[in-house]
Amino acid sequence: MKSQFLSTVLAGLALGLTAFGADIVDRPEKLTFPALRFEPPNPAQFRVPLKSGPVAYVVPDRTLPLVTISITVRVGSYLDPDGKEGLAEFAGYLLARGGTKSRTAEELEERLAFLAANLGSGIGDDAGSVSLNLLSKDLPEGLKILREVLTEPRFQENKLDLYRQQNIQGMKQRNDDAKFIKAREQERLAYGDRFWACRQTTEKSVNAITQEDLKAFHQKWVHPAGFVVAVSGDFERDAMVAQLESLFSNWPFKGENPPAIPADISMSPPGVYFVKKDVNQGQVSILLPGVMRDNPDFLAIQVMNDILGGGGFTSRVMNRVRSDEGLAYGAGSAFPGGVYYPLAFQAGFASKSRSVKYAASIVLEEMTKIASTPVSDEELQTAKRSFIDTFPENFNTKAKVAGRFASDEFTGRFAKDPTYWQTWRSRIEAVTREDVQRVAKEHLHPSKAVILMVGDEKDIDLGDPKHPLTFKDLSSGPLVQVPLRDPLTMEPLPAESR
Amino acid sequence: MTSLRLAGLLAVATIPALAQQIPVIERRLPNGFRLLMVERHEEPRIAGGWVVKVGSANEHLGITGISHLFEHMMFKGTPTLGTKDAQRDLELIAEQERVRGEMRREEAAMRVALREGRLEDVTKPENFTPRYKELEAEFKKLIDEQRQLLVKNEFDRVYTTAGASGMNAFTSEDMTGYFITVPSNKLELWCWMESERLLRPVFREFYAERDVVYEERRMRIESTPIGKFGEEFNAMFWDAHPYMWPVIGWPSDIPNITKRDADAFYALYYQPQNITLILVGDFQPDQAEAMALRYFGRIPAGTQPPPEVVTREPNQPAEKRMYAEAETNPQVDILWKTVGYRHKDSYPLDVLQLLLSDRTGRLYKGLVLGSQVATETYAMQDSKKWAGQFNIGGEAKDGKSPEEVEQGIYAELEKLKNEPVPADELQKVKNQFAAFEYRKLTANFPIFMQVLQAEGLGDWREVNEANAKLQAVTAEDVQRVARKYFTKESRAVAIYTRKPGTGAASDDPDLAGLAADQRPMVRRIVESLTAEKDVAKLKEFLGQLEAQTGNADPKRQQLQKILQKKVAARIAELEKK
Repeated sequence: MKSQFLSTVLAGLALGLTAFGADIVDRPEKLTFPALRFEPPNPAQFRVPLKSGPVAYVVPDRTLPLVTISITVRVGSYLDPDGKEGLAEFAGYLLARGGTKSRTAEELEERLAFLAANLGSGIGDDAGSVSLNLLSKDLPEGLKILREVLTEPRFQENKLDLYRQQNIQGMKQRNDDAKFIKAREQERLAYGDRFWACRQTTEKSVNAITQEDLKAFHQKWVHPAGFVVAVSGDFERDAMVAQLESLFSNWPFKGENPPAIPADISMSPPGVYFVKKDVNQGQVSILLPGVMRDNPDFLAIQVMNDILGGGGFTSRVMNRVRSDEGLAYGAGSAFPGGVYYPLAFQAGFASKSRSVKYAASIVLEEMTKIASTPVSDEELQTAKRSFIDTFPENFNTKAKVAGRFASDEFTGRFAKDPTYWQTWRSRIEAVTREDVQRVAKEHLHPSKAVILMVGDEKDIDLGDPKHPLTFKDLSSGPLVQVPLRDPLTMEPLPAESR
Repeated sequence: MTSLRLAGLLAVATIPALAQQIPVIERRLPNGFRLLMVERHEEPRIAGGWVVKVGSANEHLGITGISHLFEHMMFKGTPTLGTKDAQRDLELIAEQERVRGEMRREEAAMRVALREGRLEDVTKPENFTPRYKELEAEFKKLIDEQRQLLVKNEFDRVYTTAGASGMNAFTSEDMTGYFITVPSNKLELWCWMESERLLRPVFREFYAERDVVYEERRMRIESTPIGKFGEEFNAMFWDAHPYMWPVIGWPSDIPNITKRDADAFYALYYQPQNITLILVGDFQPDQAEAMALRYFGRIPAGTQPPPEVVTREPNQPAEKRMYAEAETNPQVDILWKTVGYRHKDSYPLDVLQLLLSDRTGRLYKGLVLGSQVATETYAMQDSKKWAGQFNIGGEAKDGKSPEEVEQGIYAELEKLKNEPVPADELQKVKNQFAAFEYRKLTANFPIFMQVLQAEGLGDWREVNEANAKLQAVTAEDVQRVARKYFTKESRAVAIYTRKPGTGAASDDPDLAGLAADQRPMVRRIVESLTAEKDVAKLKEFLGQLEAQTGNADPKRQQLQKILQKKVAARIAELEKK
């Protein structure tokens, strides 16, 4: 008997057919997995305060013959003088693309292209960056170019003119896509017309930018005292440190320390704000005041938001708006913490005009619900496991390790909490259902929401006969018509002309 | 300097010769699945997924968009995943199908009304027939009952709770790809989940998902400035090849795809012989292969091979042109018929793409910096599986026309036809391809995606073979393909101009001298003039303007003059009619 049973099994295995799947479990919970250990890298291991000024994170990685250097600069569009909005952006773009003292822009770009090296630069709202990725055999030449770009940029006049032209033509597309309009107006509503980050470039402001402005801006703000450096790739650590020292020493000008980044935001009063645009899909953004990144509840807020609308297909907003009702392709929420000023909570989606109000009512309902009823254990576990078990992705390349630590250095997080990443997972683990409800109650007040809609007002107002709703059902605040703006002047356009 | 050069040479010497290769291990399961594995231990995670060799090119009119709809439905679960009561769930799906069958009959009646002009739009709720509304209510009851049994997006929840990330999928003309990243101890979970959904998928919530796809269509095509024009241009470019229809499907086809269509499509294309499994990351290949065999081995092999796409594009006999007025800056977009994946001419065409691209490429130097007719340009050889196209375009600089950009592009192409590319320029491009051989290897997911794309287009080996073929391209090859493919007859040209009334007020050159705060008012008046048909009224207005102009302050003088000019022009236009 025994031998016959065995031969049957063996025959089945040999055929490779009947044996497959015979003993496979019917539910994934029945599977067991080996333990997985992961410890995040320790920033102190890579941190090098350079004698020449900057702090560098140096992460050798000999697997590929490539080197990445990224320099973060303490500068930003908050430093734009009134009337010259765009100066920081122009300086950032042209720093690496406008030539240097010894080479024209064309010569520089030609050489970099021949070396297949990627040199980039840019200045955003609250930071600037210059980065270089190249083959390690070209590192000495690359560093020489980097030094020239950082200390002796040419800001070639014809490149300034060309970028200005491209920029103005880009402005002309500002009202072409409803998404652009939404992005612009939600900033104004969230932070106030007069807040520095809501200032817009205009034809006039970029026409006012001169080569002298760019040079002065560069000499004022681009200097090693404000640099944080991330380097990773194919080099020997001590040799790289020495190369960085010579890259940043003997800076030819002194520069200034930038002033603190202003934080004088003010959110618009609750209401439905409407921008008319002739498209068949309405864009919706629901805004509430946000928090700083170092808020003690920040991680609890992240878990709460993940369950509400941040977690994609496991989130409530996505489940209801998309999966249940088929009202949107994407729907969700974000609760980003600010470094310099509180960043607003935002929930949003795009839906066909007739279902815009209904979908908005669902999102508001979910905001109310998560503040009034505890989330389920299952939801809490899903959110927590998702954060904790994807944690290694934060460090999955050496460039990411260097970049993440450099960013923490730049934003002051490292100085404040050097063990931030070491303790991160246990702090997520500690979030309870009570925490989730408490932070939802504290921060999610649908009655205070600023609701922005961009789309076809007539069809949106008409709504879905199966779900009759008025704008008043969405907000106790007024319905406010927000004018489109002339794309070159940003002046409101009169209603009739739309 | 000498020492620097020496250091450079030494660094070259230390590059391991095999660093450029993606070390793929290839296996074949008995039922037909191909398994491709790349072992990497840089992080404790695995990028995993599979590619089905089916895309919109395998569809036919009436079911366009079905490949993409499938991509959505594959996340809806299995008999045990996604519902609390598998039996009742299947019954409810069957009942929903019955009601939908009746609704489709009503929809057919509404389409008759549409064809006869009794209805304008069959998608508006007001236009539904009473019977249709009844059926809709009946259907909704079944959905509500099913919803009580649903475990929402359980497929996603299981993965998310297990620490997986980046779950997604895509559909193109040639392939459908599914992917996710899991912690390295969860390889068995990946095998379980993916083999289960391939073995016994359940297409629940089919109709809500169809609506989601509609929203995706609105988002990507209908409500973007040039989406619908791009769709039209593509449909115009291909004469016969199924590449002509959009991957997302024609709007009238999407709602008419039935469950029967879906079942037949699945049986034909989602069979093991047509699917390649791909794993990149932290695992032992032998163990992974054994696990794949155990889980995926249980899926029965298909009974008939999926059909090839046999329609070949006929030789286009004449240039095609499209003129579009859109909410966008003036621009030109040109397509030429070229060759598909792994065709020997695709390599010189790839080289040609780089010669034309970027800020040191010929288009930018010629058209943006040189003749200054354009503000930006682009070029791309798109080697699809069954055929290929080359795309060049650019945005016109203010004051220049798209046609001037078009002529500038042809002038650059003529140079490539008439003169061999200088050696250093060719070398520059080859250096970029060579450096990419390293850049492509930096993390699990990009490696995974390259293998998947190559396999979906025809052969994963291309990820390791392409560079040698690109390095072998000569200046003569480039010249030969430029002459062969960039002909007037094989191209289609789209000229975009801005739709009147959608740009900046100062787009009107007459308004250029005005102060910023004056423009909106003038623009408004100009627009109201376009609507005014009464010549007498306009003449009266003109008279008033003329009377005021003399008295206006200097700041308003110019404004008055512009208004006069506009009113006079409108009068002339009306009188001509």
